Amino acid sequence: MTAFLTVRHIAKSFHLDKDVTVSALRDINLDIDRGEFVVISGPSGSGKTTLLNIIGGLDVPDSGEVILDGLKLTGLSERSLSRVRRDHIGFVFQAYNLLPVLTARENIEYVMRLQGVKGERCRIRSAEISEKLGIVSLLDKLPNQLSGGQQQRVAVARSVAATPRLVLADEPTANLDSKSAIALIDMMEKLNQEEGVTVIFSSHDPMVIGKARRSVVLKDGKLVANNAI
Amino acid sequence: MFLNFAFRYVLAYKRRSAITVLLGAVSTALLIFTSAWMDGSHGQLIKNSVEIYSGYIQVTASGFRENPGFDKLVFDYGSLQDQIKTVPGVDVVSPRLETFVLFSAGEKAVGGMLIGIDPDKEKRISRLFSSLKGGAYLVGTDTIQLYIGSELARRLKLDLGDELAFVGSGTDYSFAADKLVVKGIFQTGLFEFDASAAFLAKPYFDSIMASENIASQVIVLPKEPVRAAQLASVIRKTVGGAFEVASWQQTMSALLKSMKLDSVFGYITLGLIFIVIFFVVMIYTLLAVFSRVKEIGIMRAIGTTPREVLLLLLLESSFLSFLSVVLGGIAGALSAYYFSIYPVSFTGMEEQFKQYGLAVATIPTSFKPLIILRDMAIMFFLLVLATLYPIIKVNCLKPIEAIHHV
Ligand SMILES: Nc1ncnc2c1ncn2[C@@H]1O[C@H](COP(=O)(O)OP(=O)(O)O)[C@@H](O)[C@H]1O
Ligand SMILES: [Mg+2]
Repeated sequence: MTAFLTVRHIAKSFHLDKDVTVSALRDINLDIDRGEFVVISGPSGSGKTTLLNIIGGLDVPDSGEVILDGLKLTGLSERSLSRVRRDHIGFVFQAYNLLPVLTARENIEYVMRLQGVKGERCRIRSAEISEKLGIVSLLDKLPNQLSGGQQQRVAVARSVAATPRLVLADEPTANLDSKSAIALIDMMEKLNQEEGVTVIFSSHDPMVIGKARRSVVLKDGKLVANNAI
Repeated sequence: MFLNFAFRYVLAYKRRSAITVLLGAVSTALLIFTSAWMDGSHGQLIKNSVEIYSGYIQVTASGFRENPGFDKLVFDYGSLQDQIKTVPGVDVVSPRLETFVLFSAGEKAVGGMLIGIDPDKEKRISRLFSSLKGGAYLVGTDTIQLYIGSELARRLKLDLGDELAFVGSGTDYSFAADKLVVKGIFQTGLFEFDASAAFLAKPYFDSIMASENIASQVIVLPKEPVRAAQLASVIRKTVGGAFEVASWQQTMSALLKSMKLDSVFGYITLGLIFIVIFFVVMIYTLLAVFSRVKEIGIMRAIGTTPREVLLLLLLESSFLSFLSVVLGGIAGALSAYYFSIYPVSFTGMEEQFKQYGLAVATIPTSFKPLIILRDMAIMFFLLVLATLYPIIKVNCLKPIEAIHHV
C-alpha cells in the first residue's frame, strides 16, 4: 500500500550567483502515513523550509516528485496547486500568518470562504475550532491586537478550519517563548488526535521536537535520520 | 466575498485610500474643468465673433468674398432683399456697404473702414448698438454723424463732438471726401474691429459714395441662429448663382481652424497631464500594493488563486477609482457650472486676449453634463488602467517570494 504522503528523490538547489549554487535538498525520500505527527528538525539552513515548501506545493523541486494522497503535485499548474493548497493543506508560517485587515474569526473562516462554504457553516466551524483551542475570546480582535502567541494560535485554528488532510507548519514556535511554544505544539497535537489531521512541522528546539511521534532530521540538505520517537 | 474584503481593505488603509481618492478626484476635476474651459472659451469666441459684427449669414455678390472690389457689389439691394425675405425662417435682412478710407483729424491720419448701415436693422443683426461706449448710436436720418470704434477714436485723438475728415472713393470710383463729426463711440471687444471701423447712416453715406441701393454685403439674421447653415443653403437656392451665401461656419472658417488647432494643443497639454497623473497613480499603487506583498503571499499560500487576488485588487482599485471620479466629477461639475454663470475675468491679461481678438477678458466655462460624464468615464478607465500594472506585477510573484519579500 502506498503511503499518504510520498516524497521521492527530491532535489533542490538555489543559484545565488552565476557560479554559486547552494544545494538545499539532495535526494530526499520520505513516506508519511495518514494521521502522523511528524517533526522535521535540523540546524538552521539544513533545508527544512525548502522541504516543507515543496511538500506544500509552494516551491517546485529540480527533480523528484511529491505525491499527496494519490495526487502527484509535481508538474501541476500554479492554479491547480492553489486549489490543492486551498482544499487539502493547511499552513502555519513562522510569522506574519494572519491577514491584518480581517478579524481572527474572519482569518479562521477565510479558507472555507474561498471554498464557497456558506456563512452559517463557517460560523459553526470557527466556533467549534476556537472552543477546542481556547481562543473564543480572541475571535473579534484584529491581528495587531493579539500577542505573538495568540496570533500563532489563530493561525493554527485557520490551518485546520477547512478540514485539510495535511497541516504543514514551518517553525511555528520560533518566535514564541518556551511556554507558549509548548502550548502551541500541544494544541496541534490535540487537533492531530481529535481531527485526525496529519501534521508535519519543523523546529530546531529540542523541547518542541520531543513532542512529535516521529522525527525526521536534515543536515546540509540530506535526510540523516527518520525515527519514531 | 471578495467584494466584502475589498471594502475591508479600503477601510483598513484609510490614509492610503484617502490619498488615492484625492489624487484621482483632483485629476478628474482638473480634466472636467479644463475641457469645460476650452469648450467655453471657444464657444465664447464664436459667439462674440459672429454676433458682434459678422452675422450668422452673409450674402454677397459672387466672387466678392474671395476678392472684394467695387465691381463685385450687390447692385440691386432692394430686389435681393425681397427675394431673401420670401425664405421662411429669415428674421431680419440688413445691408452694409464697407469702403476703405483714410481718416484724418488734426495731425493724425489713419486708414480704416467706413461703413454705411441701416441703423435700425443693424441694431438687430449685430451688437453695434449695445457696444455703445459714449455719445449716441446712429439714427436713419443722421448725416455727417459718425459712430466710431473706441480704438480708432483713440488713435485719431477724437472725442465726442470732435470733427474729422475722410478721403476715399465712391462706388463709381469718383473721389469722395467729407467732414464728419463724432456722434458715438463703441467698443465691441473685438480689438481689430474697434481699431478700424466707423459707421454712417446709409442714406447720407449713399449720397457721398454714389451707392444708392448698393451693398457690399447683406446680413441675414435667422429666426433660429442654430439653424444658420440650413437656412443659408435655402437662401442660396432662392437667390441663384449671382450671389454667394455664407453661413458663419464659412465666414469664420479661419477662426474655426485656429480653434481646432488650439484644441489640439489643449488636448496635447491634457495628454501630458494625464501621463503624469497616470504614472503618479501607478507608482503610488505600486508602493501601496508592494507594502502588502507579504499578505498577498499568505493569501496565495493558503489557496487564493492568482485570479482571485487579481479580482480582489481590481475591486479595490475600481471602488477607489469610482469614488475618485464621483467626487472629482461633482467638484469639476460644480466649478464648470459656477464659472459658466460667473465667468472668469482676466483683468491685466487684456494684451494676451487681444491676440485672440478679444478686448474683454471674460470667459465663461461651458457646462455640458454629457461631456462631464464622458470625462468621468475616461478618468475612471485611466485610473483603473494605472493600477493594472502594479496589480499584475505583484500577482506574478510566487507565494514564497511574496512571503519573503522585504
Ligand atoms: N530563496 C532562496 N534563495 C537562495 N538560497 C536559498 C533560498 N531558500 C533557501 N536557500 C538556501 O537553501 C538552504 C536551505 O534553506 P532552508 O530550507 O531555509 O533551511 P532551514 O529552513 O532549515 O533553515 C540554505 O543554505 C539557504 O541559504
Ligand atoms: Mg527555515
